[in-house]
Amino acid sequence: METEGTLSLERANQLDDQRAQPERANERALIEGARRGDPSAHRALYDTHVDRVYRLAHRLTGVEHLAREVTQDTFVRAFAGIEGFRGDSAFGTWLHQIAVSLSLNEIKRQKRERARNAPLDDAMALGEHTAPSDPVLREKLMQAVNDLPEGCRTVFMMHDAEGYTHQEIAAALGVTEGTSKAQLARARGKLRVALAQFAGEWKP
Amino acid sequence: MNDHRKHDLNDNQYDFGTDANVVPPDDPAFDAWVAKAAPALNAPRSDVPRAEMWEAIQAARRTSEDAQAGKVRGVTPIPRAPWRLLSVIAAALLIGVALDRVFLHKADRPVPPVAAVPSRADSSDPARLYRMAAAQTLTQAEALLTAYRAGGTAERDPVMARQLGTWGRQVLSSTRLLIDSPAGDDPQLRALFNDLELVLVQIIQLSGAPLDPSDRALIDRALESKDLLPRIRTAVPAGVAAAGSAD
Repeated sequence: METEGTLSLERANQLDDQRAQPERANERALIEGARRGDPSAHRALYDTHVDRVYRLAHRLTGVEHLAREVTQDTFVRAFAGIEGFRGDSAFGTWLHQIAVSLSLNEIKRQKRERARNAPLDDAMALGEHTAPSDPVLREKLMQAVNDLPEGCRTVFMMHDAEGYTHQEIAAALGVTEGTSKAQLARARGKLRVALAQFAGEWKP
Repeated sequence: MNDHRKHDLNDNQYDFGTDANVVPPDDPAFDAWVAKAAPALNAPRSDVPRAEMWEAIQAARRTSEDAQAGKVRGVTPIPRAPWRLLSVIAAALLIGVALDRVFLHKADRPVPPVAAVPSRADSSDPARLYRMAAAQTLTQAEALLTAYRAGGTAERDPVMARQLGTWGRQVLSSTRLLIDSPAGDDPQLRALFNDLELVLVQIIQLSGAPLDPSDRALIDRALESKDLLPRIRTAVPAGVAAAGSAD
């Protein structure tokens, strides 16, 4: 079963690779342009990646102004250090690495300052569709997510909240896909324990 | 599998917790429920503020480029040339001694723990030497920023402002050399030096004239948003300890 799933994933990845080749060539040209200082290349790279970087930063920091700062810093650092970008990974992956690192620094800073006086709704924007309706449960869930170990929380937010694949998470965090999967399972296990009093919400 | 995972976890920079290798059994019902609930967590409420962020990015890059090009008064650009480690060590140590004599004793401030920095600068280990220079530079940066913050009335004192500017230029030189060092492979330390560089440039830029409250607020905001002093204080003992442990 696992082998079959792995094979189909490989085939899907091959097809994705074929489709992505022209995009990669275009991105390589943009990176070369950015290295030469071409402002339009900077802008094109920004336009291509900014949405995902911002969403990731927002998921991890939970606060709009921090998400903005992290996103801005990510691009400032990426453009300043683009000479050092060797192209071993996709440019987007490199940006996500920077964004995750900056976001985690921000989170640590927030924790140190103990300045989380904002109401929970500021740190947790609720969608209309799938959020738990019980406000106590919502609060407990967010609190439990925030109490997860840093790496565990990052994997959970990237996978379950933002929809990254384990392959993308592994590339962005510099871990193996196995680690990403294991940490997601740990995160869910810890959340299940933390929310045990609400078990009726998910048990049939 | 366990060994591989342990190796993997130990080789990256993220904290996965003390029980990182303990994976609980699945509960498909909970997993499905939480996977549905999670997309609402920390979801951005509005559209991505592309234009505003692009403006801010451009402004930050212009400031940095102006400083590099020597367009910022009082900031002498240095070429981002291949780095010579020993010259940086020597420069950092000399600057440390000079600043200690000129400023720190004058300010009657507790002497920074220079003695904690190993004196064996003749080691051939570039990483160790880099950490020594980094610790020295960060110690001076901490003293400078503390003096800047303590100077509640410094904006009305042009002499003090000039002294801070001179001091800032010296620390900035070391900071830039350390940023360019190939021995600096710690991304967190490099990020710290990048943030320090920006704040130092602002302090120098505004040191030529008495600071008005808005100038000072600009620097204070940069100090605050980058969380610079606590990060420096955290990094200095680590740098010294790492250097010492290499013995």
